[in-house]
Amino acid sequence: MIVAFNLREHPDSMANDAATILYEDTDENLRTISLTGRLDIQGTEAVGNKFAILSASDKHRIVVDLTALDFLASIGIRSLVSNAKAQQQRGGRLVLFVGDNAAVAKVLKTTGIDTVIPMFADAAEARKAALA
Amino acid sequence: VTAASVDPVAELSIQADAAEVRRASNWLEAAALKQHLPAEQIARLDLCLNEALANILAHGGHSALASEVRLQLRVRDEAGIHEAEVTVSDTGVAFDPLAYRPGPRADSLEKIEPGGLGLIMMREAADDLGYLRSEGRNLLTVTIRWSKAV
Repeated sequence: MIVAFNLREHPDSMANDAATILYEDTDENLRTISLTGRLDIQGTEAVGNKFAILSASDKHRIVVDLTALDFLASIGIRSLVSNAKAQQQRGGRLVLFVGDNAAVAKVLKTTGIDTVIPMFADAAEARKAALA
Repeated sequence: VTAASVDPVAELSIQADAAEVRRASNWLEAAALKQHLPAEQIARLDLCLNEALANILAHGGHSALASEVRLQLRVRDEAGIHEAEVTVSDTGVAFDPLAYRPGPRADSLEKIEPGGLGLIMMREAADDLGYLRSEGRNLLTVTIRWSKAV
């Protein structure tokens, strides 16, 4: 099942303004949550509740797909961390899939988040690590 | 000579409100594009602007939230080096981000603390950060530099 929650800004605002969260349960054990647009204050507040609910699954391990994320602020990082913690407390695991999104990967490395939440450029590796 | 010594090419005043941060980003992008800043340099400034405003909202206190935040963009070219500077001025409690020392890096999810990330990100993204407390305002300057494309 694929469900999109698309939160549009008013039309005169500039590029990349929609923060979008979309998920797919690829099998009974694995959920991919895709975040696009800007995880700034406004974007993170817009998708944060849905992100938390989708991440707090007892049945699924989680891959968070950040390959099409345009902007990642510290508030967005805190959201990733709290959801990774919530998944871990359920005995599960949340991992990050960044693909070739160099800007987002750099921010995650700069802040050291990649050492506490596993981060992968390769989708198959991300899925494997989530299910390990 | 730094960008600080030239007149701003763009200014914006915003309310200290989460909904205004996006407007500030949009203002920065439009003003920087007009000055022909490359997208990757605008992204550096945008990240710093977002984190500076997030800090004001989170820690500036009532005095910050009660009055406007002033933003300025300055640019300068000299000897093949481009420089751009964003100044963020607020009336919140005095806070010198340059004096902040982040704690040791957490090595596990259990130990990670929620604060301090924004300052780490700003230090990484900017070439220079400057801070001044003047006439009841915090003045934070974020400077980036890049070479002309050959």
